[in-house]
Amino acid sequence: MKQDYSYVGHSVDRNDSYTKTTGRAQYTADLKFPGMLYGKLIRSTIAHGRIKSIDTSEAEKLNGVKAIITAKDVPSMKWGLSPARFDENIFCIEKVRYNGDKIGAVCAVDEETVYKALKLIKVEYEELPAVLTWQDAAKEGAPQIFEEYPGNLNTEIHHHFGDVDAALKDAYYVRTDKFQGQRTYHAFIENHCSTAYWDGDRAFLYSSCQSVHYIQYHLCRVLGMKMGNLTVRQTNVGAGFGGKLDPSGLDFAAVILSKITGQPVKMFYDHAETFLNGRGRHPMTMELTTGVDKNGKILAHKFDCVLEGGAYTGLGIASSYYAGSLLGVLYLIDNYKFDCRRYVTNLPPCGAQRGHGQPQPRFAFEHHIDLVGEAIGVDPIDMRLINARKGNSITTAGYEVKSYNLLGANKMARDASGWKEKRGKMGVGRGIGVGNGGFVTGAGFCQYRTDYPHSVGMVKVFDDGTKAYVYSNAVDIGQGSDTVLMQMAAEAMGYPYERCQMVTGDTDLSTLDFGAYASRQTLMAGWAVKRAGAEVKKKVLAKACEMLKASGRIKEGFGYLDGPLTPEDLDCVEGIVFVKQEPAVKLTFEEVARKYFVDHGVLLGRGWYHPGKLGGNHKGAAVGTSPAYSSATQVAEVKVDMETGQIECVDTWDVHDSGTIINPKLFHGQVHGAFYMGVGETIWEEVLFDKKTGKLLNGNFAEYRLPTALDMPPVESLTLDDSYEPNGPYGLKEVGEGATTPTMGAVANAIYDAMGVSMTDLPITYEKVWRALRDKKASGK
Amino acid sequence: MYLPDFEYYAPDSIAEACQLLSQLGEKAKVLAGGTDLMIKMKNEVLAPEVVVSVKNLDQLKKIEYVAGKGVSVGALCTHNDLVKCDVLKEKYSSVSNAARQMANNQVRNRGTIGGNISNAVPSADLPPIFIALNATVKLVGTKGERTVAMEDLFTGPGKTVLAQDELIAEVIIPDQKMTGSNYIKFGLRKSGALAVVGVAVAVQVENNVIKDARVALGAVAATPVRAKKAEDFLKGKTVSDEVLAEAGVIASGECKPISDIRASAEYRTDLVRIFTKRALRKAIDEGHV
Repeated sequence: MKQDYSYVGHSVDRNDSYTKTTGRAQYTADLKFPGMLYGKLIRSTIAHGRIKSIDTSEAEKLNGVKAIITAKDVPSMKWGLSPARFDENIFCIEKVRYNGDKIGAVCAVDEETVYKALKLIKVEYEELPAVLTWQDAAKEGAPQIFEEYPGNLNTEIHHHFGDVDAALKDAYYVRTDKFQGQRTYHAFIENHCSTAYWDGDRAFLYSSCQSVHYIQYHLCRVLGMKMGNLTVRQTNVGAGFGGKLDPSGLDFAAVILSKITGQPVKMFYDHAETFLNGRGRHPMTMELTTGVDKNGKILAHKFDCVLEGGAYTGLGIASSYYAGSLLGVLYLIDNYKFDCRRYVTNLPPCGAQRGHGQPQPRFAFEHHIDLVGEAIGVDPIDMRLINARKGNSITTAGYEVKSYNLLGANKMARDASGWKEKRGKMGVGRGIGVGNGGFVTGAGFCQYRTDYPHSVGMVKVFDDGTKAYVYSNAVDIGQGSDTVLMQMAAEAMGYPYERCQMVTGDTDLSTLDFGAYASRQTLMAGWAVKRAGAEVKKKVLAKACEMLKASGRIKEGFGYLDGPLTPEDLDCVEGIVFVKQEPAVKLTFEEVARKYFVDHGVLLGRGWYHPGKLGGNHKGAAVGTSPAYSSATQVAEVKVDMETGQIECVDTWDVHDSGTIINPKLFHGQVHGAFYMGVGETIWEEVLFDKKTGKLLNGNFAEYRLPTALDMPPVESLTLDDSYEPNGPYGLKEVGEGATTPTMGAVANAIYDAMGVSMTDLPITYEKVWRALRDKKASGK
Repeated sequence: MYLPDFEYYAPDSIAEACQLLSQLGEKAKVLAGGTDLMIKMKNEVLAPEVVVSVKNLDQLKKIEYVAGKGVSVGALCTHNDLVKCDVLKEKYSSVSNAARQMANNQVRNRGTIGGNISNAVPSADLPPIFIALNATVKLVGTKGERTVAMEDLFTGPGKTVLAQDELIAEVIIPDQKMTGSNYIKFGLRKSGALAVVGVAVAVQVENNVIKDARVALGAVAATPVRAKKAEDFLKGKTVSDEVLAEAGVIASGECKPISDIRASAEYRTDLVRIFTKRALRKAIDEGHV
């Protein structure tokens, strides 16, 4: 299957490495336009209440204030990301639902004036009792946050495949464990920023987001605009991790305020406001029950999960489905029951974060299955080998899985880490643990309902052939999608990668793509630009054939040719078109492209991608079905200070079954970043709120403790040579999100191996470890 | 997150600075490295009408050994000045190591020791080791100079004995009979974390007998505090694991921590026990480290 490629599989330099490392790369906040105004949102200072009045008169008098808008000035249509649960307004109508909720917006001639104006705006509330935990939200008679969600229940899911109860009855061993996850935050370095201006009836919006298309779609829907009249553009994006898929509120405000004032308006968040914008990982309360046979083969599994959603739905319905939908991809489980509820609460909304809905359930299952294995005397990796899915199979839920080598990943991680010599043998305070994971490579459906292709690509060769422009509105949020898309387009065209350039981040100029989420960019936009490149190549070969024949260099019947020269006799690699059987007979891509331009005008290639009908027919099958699934195994080694509870992650191994690796350097970067995020969530990170007022307590990077470089262990990132995915362009599958899903389980299992106490409550802080060790000592076990 | 309006002065002499502070009174705040002040102003915790920068007072940027006096550390030295200082590395690397554990490299490049001390945060990393080494602080004001013991400087969270017109000029670490000293900071990650507990010790050990000991605790009371009962217990004892462990238990009984978003009082109390024992062992075995 493996071929010798010019660019695919090579660690070419990122296209943006020089501008970013020299500080010249522009982000949305760097943009300046003549007459540009600066704006911020007016935010609620209570968790739950009715707005009695908003007095903006003092602020309006302040010199330099240009406009102040609230709900009465903007359309009242609700928006969201799941059409079934559109429940968010541009600005709060009547009610505020969390401390930080969006009440309005102010713009002024400079930042300083905006901050001053915000202080002069007086909002009077009739305060309502708030519910800050799902447990309180679910109580009989709890304050209702939305009329449309009785009992504050936002959604519930009940999946049942096979017959769990019957299978559990026959099981050799049955075990139930409970786990708790925490709310985490994406912590992208670039905060949200949106800048808009108008020209006649056309609006232009620069947004730091993960999908120019979704932002365009949602804004036009709510503002009643034709999509052709709103251009959404993008500069460099300083990461997203799932937090920049929803319109941020800044997007709406910037467009509306620039319309009102007739001036460009830049809206921006600081870090604390980005925390308040939320959309990070849901805290999940999880109960798992598994029945196994004597060898550890899983007979049935029951997963009960409650998500604490925060104030709005956003992507929360998808998060809820993802919590349960991918377990059956990893492991062969004939009898599976998934019960899930998501409650709304008076806190910032939760949403998608790298691995979307899956990392906490992965943590719970991976630790639970170790405890099951321990009880019946089966080694953790053996437990996984017994139950791992194999490729070319169909899950109990009906998802079709092509390439899948979780078995190989486990074996490679086991051998690379020295598992057999280490597990259970490292002494008190040292431990090693394993976790599995993986992810979809793109979702099977658009987030709103449409029959559009998921990605459209185009390649335009410059007039004289010296440049190839690769078009796609795939969003490079730092993961390097521009680079790998150009690698694939260049490969397909047979054109030098170095002379490709992306045309992206512009809904007018470039071509549709749904954006960077669900690990879809490389596969879906990859197919689109690969096909576009292939079309260019086809045209170039046809033209070259014509040119060679006309030149008289190739005569019919000449030596190696049976008949007349045809385009099939030619190939093009790295900018050289040549006769396959006689490579010395060649033309440059440039001269052929130029001739094409002279004869026909612009040399264009077009491509598009739609995943088609994918597997699964049950309600909710849309979340989890995918053209391709990655799998991954991580092994982590930790030290635990048995007195203080301090944890140090000292070494890690990752094996990712990712199909063909387009760019190894970027691939390993994704693995490192994903592990970093996972280990941070395992040990250090948690968003904290005041338990009475719902006020954010740690909206900064001093008290929201991401691990530092000193806390990060070395990561040995390994790949499986024979991994090849038939549904992916060049055989590729995802890496960006899947690699964060095994981490919490692997680290938690290593901690268990080190200290002999099971830690089931994330994050596994030093103090929780200290307390667990103290309690263990006190109980004399 | 926007700095409020303020007047700005950058006097060229200590006398002028003190004069300004005296005239302006409560309205003024001193700016040195700015790593605390700027954040507090941006977060609207402080809104001084006047900021008096002391950055031009170059005479406060020296570290030197003065025979008969001790090591003098100028108040405007940054934490990284302490980390890199040969005099300290040679005589009291426990002090440079304490400075190295503070915050992160960016803050250590900017933040000054005068600022760190006068800010009087209970979790500050330098006061405990200075107290353990019996350091004094020279204050300069419009009425002249005075010297106070570091341990007497703090009166509460954010509060010191400094008068409105006074600046910290230098910290003096006197010549020691102590044979070893050590500071252990326990933060919730390896860099960029405030101390949940900080324990500094200094010991004089001769022939395996503890002649003298000082134990200073950070982040477990309203101010840095000495664990005097633990010190008394240690004096005259022959070094053993049991003795050091017992000193830890006694010290943990002497602290009065609070619970906050970083740690519970209970946890901090037990950490004092653990780190007192560990810091003593380190100072006894390895000297001033």
